[in-house]
Amino acid sequence: MKHMLKSMGMAAAVLAAAQAAPASAQEFPERGIEFVAGYGPGGGHDTMLRSMAKIMQEEGIIETPINVINKPGGSSAVAMGYLNSRAGDGHYLMSVTSSHITTPLTSNIGLDFSDFTPIARLGIDPELLVVNAAGPYKSIDDLLKADKVLNVGGTATGSIEHIVAIQFQKQTGKKVNFVPFQGDGDVVAALLSNQLDFIVTNPGTARDFIEAGKFNALAISTEERIDALPDVPTFKEQDIDITLSLYRGVTAPADISDEAKAYLIEKMTELNESAAWKSGYLDPNSVVEGFITGDEFEAYLEETQGVYRETLTELGIIK
Amino acid sequence: MDALTQLAGGFSEVLTVYNILLIFLAGMIGTVVGALPGLGPSAGIALMLPLTFGMPHASGLCLLTGVYMGTMYGGRITSILINTPGDAPAIITAMEGYPMMLRGQGGLALGLSAFSSFIGGFFGLAVLIFFAPVVSSYAIYLGAPEYFLLMLLGLSTIVLLAGDNMVKALLMACVGVLVSTFGSDYISGHIRFAFTPELIEGIDFVAIIIGLYGLGEVFYNLEKRVRIDLGKPSFNIREYIPPAYAIKESGGATVRGSILGTVIGILPGAGATVATFLEYALERRISRKPEEFGKGAIAGLAGPEASNNASVPGSLIPLITLGIPGSGGTAIMLGALIMFGMQPGPLLMIKSGDVVWAMIAGLVLANIFLLFSNVLLIPVFVNLLRSVQGHLASVVIALCVVGAFSLAYSTFNIWVALVFGVLGYLMKKADYPTGPFILAVVLAPLAENYFRQSIMLGQGDWAIFIDRPISLGIIIAMVVLGGLGMATKRFMKRREPAARA
Repeated sequence: MKHMLKSMGMAAAVLAAAQAAPASAQEFPERGIEFVAGYGPGGGHDTMLRSMAKIMQEEGIIETPINVINKPGGSSAVAMGYLNSRAGDGHYLMSVTSSHITTPLTSNIGLDFSDFTPIARLGIDPELLVVNAAGPYKSIDDLLKADKVLNVGGTATGSIEHIVAIQFQKQTGKKVNFVPFQGDGDVVAALLSNQLDFIVTNPGTARDFIEAGKFNALAISTEERIDALPDVPTFKEQDIDITLSLYRGVTAPADISDEAKAYLIEKMTELNESAAWKSGYLDPNSVVEGFITGDEFEAYLEETQGVYRETLTELGIIK
Repeated sequence: MDALTQLAGGFSEVLTVYNILLIFLAGMIGTVVGALPGLGPSAGIALMLPLTFGMPHASGLCLLTGVYMGTMYGGRITSILINTPGDAPAIITAMEGYPMMLRGQGGLALGLSAFSSFIGGFFGLAVLIFFAPVVSSYAIYLGAPEYFLLMLLGLSTIVLLAGDNMVKALLMACVGVLVSTFGSDYISGHIRFAFTPELIEGIDFVAIIIGLYGLGEVFYNLEKRVRIDLGKPSFNIREYIPPAYAIKESGGATVRGSILGTVIGILPGAGATVATFLEYALERRISRKPEEFGKGAIAGLAGPEASNNASVPGSLIPLITLGIPGSGGTAIMLGALIMFGMQPGPLLMIKSGDVVWAMIAGLVLANIFLLFSNVLLIPVFVNLLRSVQGHLASVVIALCVVGAFSLAYSTFNIWVALVFGVLGYLMKKADYPTGPFILAVVLAPLAENYFRQSIMLGQGDWAIFIDRPISLGIIIAMVVLGGLGMATKRFMKRREPAARA
């Protein structure tokens, strides 16, 4: 009996040691990681995080459990508040896109990207200038020569599509009339039925229509042409200096330990290098690779915020 | 006949034991999700999404559309039983179905609405199967000016929802407009009345109806010490199958509702809501017993319920032919299609036609299952309610609080529901109609945005409303109908004294 108790005690000690071992070798993560989506289930943020969680666990990039939660509301303001209240704890990762810049600029939430720890930009969603293939415009020149103010469609006033349209007007001197729509679908329908002269939209929205021969893309907002649309010239090639894209990335709460930050960046890098991420998320969603991490991502956010602030001030949306 | 061959192909894929069971389960889950206040089609589809990842694509899509269809059946259950509509298209169902429930005809109301839901869904599916490409190629020619006029038409039904006092109705419509202005305005980019960050996207509409109808009714009943007597639990199925007279009385309304629902449901945004309200107005206008409306009219229940379900296949038409989602539910379906590796857009039917036809076949099957399961489930729901009728107020409050919380997983919407619950109680007590209020909340922002979009498209010129043939057609129809309405009213007034004399 005594012997048995002793062996049981030993077994318990071995078990405890086994459990303690990985913890002492690597302090972080101490528990499961929570992915926070600032929009409801099924939205762009939610699908990115759920694809990410699925791929990271299937590929064995992260062994600890990952839990995706939704904190919708206030164009991601609610999620920003949630993450802010967890400052110092690296077990949270929030998806970010342009609203991470615009919501702080247009509302009074008192937080911006610098109140968090930017981890990585996972990819970019370039903007395309798209016309109806059955319409009169075959090139940017045709647009510039048109004898009228051009009707341009995009989502929401102050959106990146709007900013690209304004930049187009500034650079070319051609007057455009931006008409905001509630979603990509409405914009596409309005171009299909010739209510608009051109639209500014993402490859994900336009790709199939381009393939079907219904739309033509005349320019793309990246530095260089992208692999998915090799025939579409950049704005730069056509002497229009527009290089603005929507970004998709992840950020962590403020003041997390260096160890936690390094861990998260390392895991995101592994994710970015996996083939499953490219075939399972980037390609189906027409997201272009553009992986940067940490301080480089933070500098990018700062620059983007500058462009948004300047244009939104000019538009009178912010003071 | 091409469509039929492809549909047959779809059925051959769907008719496996696994898929049939799956579709049956999806319908049941959808019914329960739809029956819970606050959880509608969007939540139902989103909840099921992770389950579909390991499945073959056709099965996964059948599961999602089955849930979608099921929530449309389920939404009517809480509307009728506890006066708490889960989404905007179910509001009319509450307005006519709940009074029937109070009269002890809850079983009949549930049976009848299940039946007209089935006919509506079936009609919408037939249009989806045979005319989807044609319909969508025309539907895109409707732009902001046409949508604006349609919203105006929807708003004009306020007159019919007004009850006895037109001033009170218009007052409530104004309050509705005020409530709808909260939040960010995508046309100007400005944010209005966002006192806390939760309000940046506006006040959640579902929280409003949970409060206004569900909590408001509870508060009112508490004060009046109303005890709803539903009788003893009974499992006599004949109580729940609509009798011949009811079917006869609602037949015309169901057919009209199906047509209207399909046509208007195709349009994005508030298609289904506008369809139910217009159908309700139409039934009331042509009814021989308009005084019954608002007090449990059979035609007023059946017609809008048919429109509601006809709009589901209707809203799938732009999604599968163009990749354009027309509602919250279809927007999540769009996300699901992308996650399955398909490319929603004009090439979807060409590249993944087999999967899409299997999904349509699944919908046909789901609609049939749902009719039977819903009729058979009525005794369960009614008796469930009967067994808790002594504590109904607490049960309804619990459902409302949980429903409001689940909208954004935060307590904020519970407070919103409470505020509107108090408002609903006061409105009922002072006899202000809720219909005009809720219609204004839903349609006013859409009308406003489409109007501004129209003027922007016309670069400041109002002529856009008469330059476009469809828009001009709608304006002429509105003027003629309005004129005719006034003329007949005058004619009747002149005849009345003559008849008396």
